[in-house]
Amino acid sequence: MNYIELQVTTNFSFLRGASHPEEMVEAAAALGYSTIAITDHNTLAGIVRAHAAAKQCGVRIIPACRLDIIDGPSLLAYPTDQAAYATLSALLSLGNLRTEKGKCELYKADVYQHSEGIIFVTVPAGKLGKDFDLDPGFKQAVKEYNQFLKDLYIGACFSYKGDDGKRLYCTAEFAEEIGTVMVATNDVHFHHPQRRELQDIVTCVREKCTIYNAGYLLYQNAERYLKSAKEMERLFRKYPDAIVRSRQIADACTFSLDMLKYEYPEEITSEGRTPQEELTYLAWKGAKEIFGEVLPEKITAAINYELRFIEEMNYAAYFLTVYDIVRFARDQKILCQGRGSAANSTVCYCLGITSVDPTKFDLLFERFISSARNEPPDIDVDFEHERREEVMQYIYNKYGRDRAAIVATVTQLHQKGAVRDVAKAMGLSTDAIDRLSKSIWEFTDEWFEGKVISDHGFNPNDPHLIKILDLTRQFMGFPRQLGQHTGGFVITRGKLTDLCPILNARMENRTNIEWNKDDIDALGFLKIDVLALGMLTCIRKAFDLAKDHYGLDLTLARINEKEDPKVYEMISHADTLGVFQIESRAQMSMLPRLRPQCFYDLVIEVAIVRPGPIQGDMVHPYLRRRNGEEPVEYPSKELEDILKRTLGVPLFQEQAMKIAIVAAGFTPAEADELRRSMATFKAKGLVSKHRQKLIDGMVAKGYKIEYAERVFKQLEGFGSYGFPESHAASFALLVYVSCWLKCYYPDVFAAALLNSMPMGFYQPAQIVIDAKKHGVEVRPADVNLSLWNNRLEEQQGKYKAMRLGFRQISGIREEDMNILIEKRQMPYRSISSLREAGVPMVALEKLADADAFRSMGLDRRKALWEVAALTDRPIGLFEGKEIKHTEEQNIELPEMSLSEHVVQDYGSTSLSLKAHPVSFIRRELFNRQVLSARELSLWPDGTPLKVAGLVLVRQRPGTAGGVCFITIEDETGIVNLVVFEKLFTRYRREILYSKLLMVEGKLQREGEVTHVIVKHCYNLSGLLQQLGPGDESPDVLTLSRADENSGEVFQATNKKTQVRKVIQTELFPEGRNFK
Amino acid sequence: MGRRYLTIWFRHLATDQLAIRRPELKAKAYLLAAAERGRMLVKACSSAANAKGIASGMVLADARALLPEVQVFEEDPLRTEKLLRALAEWSVRYTPVAAIDMPDGLILDISGCTHLWGGEKPYLTEILTRLRSAGYDVRGAIADTIGSSWAISRFGTITPIIAAGTHREALLQLPPAALRLPIPILDRLQKLGLYRVSSFIDMPRTALRRRFGQELLDRMDQAIGMAAERIQPVIPVVPYQERLPSLEPIRTAPGIEIALRKLLEALCSRMYREGKGLRKARFTGHRIDGKIEDIEIGTNQPVRNIEHLFKLFQLKVSTIRPALGIELFILEALVVEDLSVQQESLWIANNHQHTAIAGLLDRVALRFGAGTIHRYLPDQHHWPERSLREAGSLKEQPAIQWPEEQPRPVFLLPRPEPIKVTSPIPDYPPMLFIYRGEIHKTRKADGPERIEREWWIEAGMIRDYYQVEDEKGQRFWLFRSGRYEDHEPEWFLHGFFA
Repeated sequence: MNYIELQVTTNFSFLRGASHPEEMVEAAAALGYSTIAITDHNTLAGIVRAHAAAKQCGVRIIPACRLDIIDGPSLLAYPTDQAAYATLSALLSLGNLRTEKGKCELYKADVYQHSEGIIFVTVPAGKLGKDFDLDPGFKQAVKEYNQFLKDLYIGACFSYKGDDGKRLYCTAEFAEEIGTVMVATNDVHFHHPQRRELQDIVTCVREKCTIYNAGYLLYQNAERYLKSAKEMERLFRKYPDAIVRSRQIADACTFSLDMLKYEYPEEITSEGRTPQEELTYLAWKGAKEIFGEVLPEKITAAINYELRFIEEMNYAAYFLTVYDIVRFARDQKILCQGRGSAANSTVCYCLGITSVDPTKFDLLFERFISSARNEPPDIDVDFEHERREEVMQYIYNKYGRDRAAIVATVTQLHQKGAVRDVAKAMGLSTDAIDRLSKSIWEFTDEWFEGKVISDHGFNPNDPHLIKILDLTRQFMGFPRQLGQHTGGFVITRGKLTDLCPILNARMENRTNIEWNKDDIDALGFLKIDVLALGMLTCIRKAFDLAKDHYGLDLTLARINEKEDPKVYEMISHADTLGVFQIESRAQMSMLPRLRPQCFYDLVIEVAIVRPGPIQGDMVHPYLRRRNGEEPVEYPSKELEDILKRTLGVPLFQEQAMKIAIVAAGFTPAEADELRRSMATFKAKGLVSKHRQKLIDGMVAKGYKIEYAERVFKQLEGFGSYGFPESHAASFALLVYVSCWLKCYYPDVFAAALLNSMPMGFYQPAQIVIDAKKHGVEVRPADVNLSLWNNRLEEQQGKYKAMRLGFRQISGIREEDMNILIEKRQMPYRSISSLREAGVPMVALEKLADADAFRSMGLDRRKALWEVAALTDRPIGLFEGKEIKHTEEQNIELPEMSLSEHVVQDYGSTSLSLKAHPVSFIRRELFNRQVLSARELSLWPDGTPLKVAGLVLVRQRPGTAGGVCFITIEDETGIVNLVVFEKLFTRYRREILYSKLLMVEGKLQREGEVTHVIVKHCYNLSGLLQQLGPGDESPDVLTLSRADENSGEVFQATNKKTQVRKVIQTELFPEGRNFK
Repeated sequence: MGRRYLTIWFRHLATDQLAIRRPELKAKAYLLAAAERGRMLVKACSSAANAKGIASGMVLADARALLPEVQVFEEDPLRTEKLLRALAEWSVRYTPVAAIDMPDGLILDISGCTHLWGGEKPYLTEILTRLRSAGYDVRGAIADTIGSSWAISRFGTITPIIAAGTHREALLQLPPAALRLPIPILDRLQKLGLYRVSSFIDMPRTALRRRFGQELLDRMDQAIGMAAERIQPVIPVVPYQERLPSLEPIRTAPGIEIALRKLLEALCSRMYREGKGLRKARFTGHRIDGKIEDIEIGTNQPVRNIEHLFKLFQLKVSTIRPALGIELFILEALVVEDLSVQQESLWIANNHQHTAIAGLLDRVALRFGAGTIHRYLPDQHHWPERSLREAGSLKEQPAIQWPEEQPRPVFLLPRPEPIKVTSPIPDYPPMLFIYRGEIHKTRKADGPERIEREWWIEAGMIRDYYQVEDEKGQRFWLFRSGRYEDHEPEWFLHGFFA
């Protein structure tokens, strides 16, 4: 068999190809092809997948590309060797980088310069012209190509458009005329003719039309599928040379992606040391800096052991690369913390990559890196979110854009997107598309069998709809665009373009490669994750504040040096609002039960309140065992080693995988595959295959079948949401640091937290209330006293007082406030002086709204009155002069009540230091027998009661079986509500739309944890209206009663009250909703 | 007596309109939504939806979360405006000066009209009752100025009729929004604690102008009546209809023709003034015995040429049976289209051929029925039967060029006819075929051109088309239906080349 398919467009030519690269390769293998080329349009993004699939089914792919050239006909490019591949990749990078993301701008001159070692084939000409010859323009261009390109062939395909005989003849003639040869291709767009329908749909999506008006944009037949070599030979029976030529081209292309060798960058070593020597040197140096000249024996042993392991696996360069980035961050005073499988090693501690102290934390290194799995070590480094860009730019600058780039993520079409696209192309109306995409999950097997009719009235007997759903199923999982990974960098020794084309990311100053994480893994490249973490920003700001105000020199490691019982005491009381990770409602209710005493307890705390352990039902067994209510036992000795630290209950991802390996006889690679298969596809077939294997394996080893079932269930939970111990440990460190700050310096912590917003679960109001509760005086923002950030002022009681910054005022711009602060040599004494200083009107108005003129003796209303008048200012000669308007002297503005002030405070800063809104309606609440949050503690478990408050957070975690958790707040504190699913459905409107929610329910107390189990909900938001101006009813205008009897009396609902209601309640922040 | 104004506020205009059109919606929760800045916003909602907490301005997704069963319709502001205009035209029966007040109100100048209904109160009751019984939720108010009647209609709580000269007092207790002010000014007044008109109406005007701009003063003045405000009255559109009553009953054809000509003259001169031409017209005769005789004509393009129209009618005049005589003639233009003046000149000047064809076609169509004339235009389909479609009118231009890339027969059979062939397999042209008993030997052939079914329209077999020339030089368009591999092939003849 001689024919090799050389022109294959996969779905990585977005919205052109209609088959996955894997499908193409598998189809080629099934047809008996030994080799197939992949030629996507201006991209190599799909070739790694094709390559991986090809290896599996024993065929070879030629990584190639179709070059769509702006000033000439398209060319197919086949690199013959690795050098040529690098050239091709460089050519694509050139085209990518000179334009925006998603495009590639190539000119024929570029191709001429990058043609060494590449075989070119012209894309077959479409139609013959009127004079039954090829288009003269095309011929001219190809003639020119032939002059400049060494290896050029003329492509031809049999398209069944009626003129194939003539066209092939003309093409062959023309090839002969310019002294080259014709080669056969089939311009494959899908692997099977049935995919034509999807290809038509994809064309419609691309051209933004529907199948009904696409017309000639569609192909008239389905011939662009992968045909058998025999059929191709028949079609080209008159031109056997064209067939032979395809094989010759394929034979000339010897390059395979396996030849790509990843090499670590080399500028990471100093003084001529090898990477291993450098790492050894740095590790010991760091160890001595930390532990002193005499190292603890355990440390020495650990370092020796780890270094040997690293040498064996040849990972030194990787550690050094990470170290280099971390060192830069430290020099720039950017806080960072490593996590991941290799991050919590002693070596990493000595290098400063992590601050988790290995002496206190007995983690075995190889637990994290298993040599058997031979997977590259994984270190993710978190940086302050506000400054991560600096780190990224450092990497780009140090290694250059041609050597460092961010990994891509291939955005795949999900069901919703797919059904939208297909339905649109099939001509459904926007409304129908909306309904369809919302109800897509309704289309169950039962629906297809016609047994159920969907809620939205979609009929299973409608063939049009069935077709849409069928196409949707095929379309799902298609790549749609290349995105940017959150922070995965690939850094190479040589040029990155030797490996893969680079392209511009959508964000400024970022460049990507075309391949994603899995592609990188498949080729064995190393990537380093440079991630952003808000809490690090907060901690760094707290460190700065602590230095300025308390003269402390804090670091992550220093705080972690000793374990402070006072901090753990605070944590055990769930006094953790605002700290890292353990601030959520679920975490807070867990803390008093778990009562963490040491660092490892925090690690467990971080990992246990996760969907994985919750779904796997591991939380309660663990709690019972910890509290001694249940004996700690192990199903076998071998599992005791794995589960000892967590009292026999698997809590971490690593443990789950170890169980699969030890107890069920999985190989490490299989265990990993198991995890992945459950994380990514929930494809039934694959998971149940693993399930059988796991259970059989465990039963064979003598475990009870029930236990095996449970382990599988746990694994299932882990698959999607499991938390690895290695990550939990790094997080726990930050948990501890943030708790320590909150415990000892609540002023510093609150200011730093507010200055790092938005982050975490809570609104500024809660953070401020919490700080006040801890004895911090909080002062309002003021034009003469505030900075942009929240700042600390002089000592007031136990802590420094906190002055709110301008950043808390909504809608105000930092630039404007910088002008204000810059010009503030002396306190401002009038509003017009602020205007003179250059603060814009809008900003002044916002400042007035925020009541920030108190230091001038103006309340917000007076200030606003003044500000509003500034629109006409004295100009010219009178500039800067204060103007007196005598007639304005007598104007009296209505006095503002405290409650009105609070309402406006909320409107402007989302918090009020004056009072809590609920306090104003306490009397009404009292009349309704509503208890305050504080009073709850006076009542025993099981008391029926009523509480009310502003809704802070509503949560409906997927793991809780439809239960909704609500947190409400009144002037005395917060109350946690639990709403079961049935009630949620009944009170859905009250729950979702109340700002002030009153509930009737039963008190539930378990140790320190108090909940109210809700029975009834009431929306009391209307009461908040009373906080506004006193509603003196306008009954002055009394006309005769007769008018009212005329049958034209106005109805009670009138728009005035409606209007005001809206204005009033919108000032209060919406509670946050979490899934 | 000074002027008096009535303002009517349709509180749920868009939703009421929907409920009137679709009575099954009555009392149901439904809403109208439109896309705004990338999300769907609720634009209007029924009172049932409102009672469940849905309000306009909400994000549609929120509304759906609140009330999953709520029915959603797309908002059509143009339709609402049209409706408002129609309502204004309707209210012309109560006053000659009726104006629309976008987006949801009417303003009527009722000065001197109300006594016909026995005073303002019955007048108002009459109008509002009529509107309410039609299904609209309305409020109305009468006052001395447009501004104050607007304010009372929206915000008034006591009485809808403000006696002459008392509108200023009536305004005092209303919120500033009653003055038709933009949101930013309202926000600022709210923040300053000026919750009622009374709290600022007496402030020094300069102080107000500095802070709120001229607009506040203008609106205040308009409401109080210190500044004039005009409304733009709607004038109802008159249908294209001409009437000719006859002094004595007409019974003869010439008489009828004279009447027809007179009416045509009147109608055409009006259409000329308005730049229109007719496509369809009806000529009706009301007989003295109470029966009605009518004839209708249609044209291929808009026409207002009296001669041409007369000729068309003339062909049918004989069908009118005058019996004892006709006392009233009415000529109506049923379908009217824009016809620019330039085209009119074409009738007179050079482009005679085109108009002659048009005239001929009109007459042929009238005589033999419109179904006898066909004109085809290309349509964007690969499937041959669908690659052309019938043109709607003479003027219609093809949206695309006739495709020239592929050979297509001059004469395409409406239905392919089966033939018997001898042909090699799998996809070669036939060596000979029998069509209607005659054997054609293939001398030359080209193909195949494979055309697949348009799967979104129908399922079925593919076709492989061949151009075939026999010994006589006749050329045919043949196809084989279905792939050879799948089943016994069937062959058809589908067209003839020139």
